[in-house]
Amino acid sequence: MRPSTEFSSQVRLQVMRQVIETGRVPRSEETALALGRTPAEVGAAHRLLAEAHVFVLEPGTSELRMAPPFSAIPTPFEVQVGERKWWGNCIWDAMGIGAALHAEARISSRCPDCGHAISITVNGPTVSGDSGVVHFAVPAAQWWDDIIYT
Amino acid sequence: MLLFRSEEHVQSSCRARSLPIGGMLSLNQSAELAWIWFNDRLDPAWRRKTLDEAEAIFAGLGLKGDFWRLRP
Repeated sequence: MRPSTEFSSQVRLQVMRQVIETGRVPRSEETALALGRTPAEVGAAHRLLAEAHVFVLEPGTSELRMAPPFSAIPTPFEVQVGERKWWGNCIWDAMGIGAALHAEARISSRCPDCGHAISITVNGPTVSGDSGVVHFAVPAAQWWDDIIYT
Repeated sequence: MLLFRSEEHVQSSCRARSLPIGGMLSLNQSAELAWIWFNDRLDPAWRRKTLDEAEAIFAGLGLKGDFWRLRP
């Protein structure tokens, strides 16, 4: 049965709460336990949210690969707010973690061309630290054709 | 969306991978985009932006032209 929009919204918020609290994107069992539902129901909500381009699934599963701006797996975009750390899916999302939390966030990455470490700090819409430039390889209309590559 | 040291490093990377150069943003543009895009993400009433809203955000940051068009 297709989950309700209301339940999917609850799942979205629970995932966000948990990733903020624990530093990692939860599996469906954890969200099910927190909401008093079954993992299958949460998995169905994950699929609905992925169809709506809100979340991204690990290919071939109903588990989350991305709960933007957070990544379920380590990436080259480590984000630190105070003592807490997360992974961003890309540099846009890494900056978005600070924005979502309304907190100053330090981002540690490496230049994909030369491997040089780059450290920047975002605070609201402002940025400081090392110099750099952000490159979007894929045109906007094609971002969701393969969002993991994008 | 990757973070490079400079435009020269973007060019070098694209050349090495035989890829065309896509869209480039300054760090200030990127931070502003991230702020506009994500600052309401934890709001229970959050909803995904419409294509019109998203394109207006891009245009407001100077991201115009075919590369930033969201409709195929």
